[in-house]
Amino acid sequence: MDTEFLSGIFLKLLTGLPLTLNLTALSLLFGGLLALVLNLMRASRVGNALASTYVFVFRGTPLLIQIFMIYYGLASFDAVRSGFLWPFLREPYWCGLLALALNDAAYTSEILRGGLRAVPQGAVEAGRVSGMGRTLVLRRIVLPLAIRQALPAYSNEVISMLKATALVSTITLLDVTGLARAEVSATYRAVEIFLCAAVIYLALSLLVTRGAGWLERRLSPYKFGVSA
Amino acid sequence: MSIPAIAVTGLHKSFGANAVLRGIDLKAQDGDVISLIGASGSGKSTFLRCIPMLEVPDSGIVAVGEHVIEPRSGILTRRDKITARTIRSELGFVFQSFNLWPHRTVLENVIEAPIHVQGRPRAECVEEAEALLDKVGLSDKRDAWPVHLSGGQQQRVAIARALAQHPRALLFDEPTSALDPELVGEVLKVIRSLAEEGRTMLIVTHEMGFAREVSSRTVFLHQGRIEEDGHPDQVFGNPVSDRCRAFVSGHFQRNR
Repeated sequence: MDTEFLSGIFLKLLTGLPLTLNLTALSLLFGGLLALVLNLMRASRVGNALASTYVFVFRGTPLLIQIFMIYYGLASFDAVRSGFLWPFLREPYWCGLLALALNDAAYTSEILRGGLRAVPQGAVEAGRVSGMGRTLVLRRIVLPLAIRQALPAYSNEVISMLKATALVSTITLLDVTGLARAEVSATYRAVEIFLCAAVIYLALSLLVTRGAGWLERRLSPYKFGVSA
Repeated sequence: MSIPAIAVTGLHKSFGANAVLRGIDLKAQDGDVISLIGASGSGKSTFLRCIPMLEVPDSGIVAVGEHVIEPRSGILTRRDKITARTIRSELGFVFQSFNLWPHRTVLENVIEAPIHVQGRPRAECVEEAEALLDKVGLSDKRDAWPVHLSGGQQQRVAIARALAQHPRALLFDEPTSALDPELVGEVLKVIRSLAEEGRTMLIVTHEMGFAREVSSRTVFLHQGRIEEDGHPDQVFGNPVSDRCRAFVSGHFQRNR
């Protein structure tokens, strides 16, 4: 095994790590916010229909196609090219981030919806009857309970987004996978290079799993038979 | 007489075609301990839930102290909703199923509303909460999680939580119905001590012996109306209404 080559490649791929992490973190952030909005919309009938349609479309089509539609598709509209968002929408980075965030929002909103449905009605009533307004009930009772409930499923979504960022390499971005593809086309040593890339993703996934486990124990110690 | 702690007039409430409350009038003066009895479906729990607007009455007037709400066709205006929040913070409500917040420790459950609703300083709330937990016999459970407590302990925490709001009156909605029989006593003991302190309380209950012994007044509900209302000795011993007589005697026979 050519360890010198491997370590050289490994170090090179690591320079793509900031972009991979950046896309993961920001798409989770914006996707998460949008997911919260989608769930709040569900309070009304029209909003509920809109949110369902949104989830149906973004969960029902491949992320790769969503990336292509945004990166290649939007540019074919004059209105977009002359619009004030064009400085962003012509950049592959922003197109990739937008697609990832929109896609993440669809999945996260369903995870959050499950968490919200699991909030016991009695806990909500206890909040209302103690004089809390809607926002306070949401902030102090509903969301904390929903998030605790949704956390295990959400850690899957985080890992899934982490790996999904690899798709932005198809629109010229040089994340870990993008760099790996460039190296492969320069050296034709696909197995070693992609293996290095896979190891990086595997290590990140391990971190997410451990982090989520830690957070869950910290937020809900009562589920693990530990007293405070 | 001064303004009653709770005054309800002409309360009506239907769920669909099912008329649950059909004109209820009830006044509770400060210091009254009123037990509400009646068969399941007589409307006693719905009545109790209408006072803090957990159920919005179709019509009628609910007044807690000087705060008055008069819903029109089951709808609260924005002003009513603000009044409802004031009313809620003046009442302590204890649920049948305790409804503690599972993600907060015992102490955190008790200090939650005083800090976040009433805006009182944390140190003061903690000190008071510790005294309240001591009073309900749970000072050693201060940092425990609700799921690790027995039903009786959870209900006593819920009572401490209600007391922490400095309520003008306490409302109990079948506080012992969800408990194993051997845990009922510890909760009744706490409620009895509150009655002896002179707290104003409305208690929906199936514990007839307890109701008779603790309350200053007993109200019997039947099909959404008050059928009998008087001193417990009269309501249990010599009821005017035949239905009340049948209900009460049925109960004491069963529990003999």
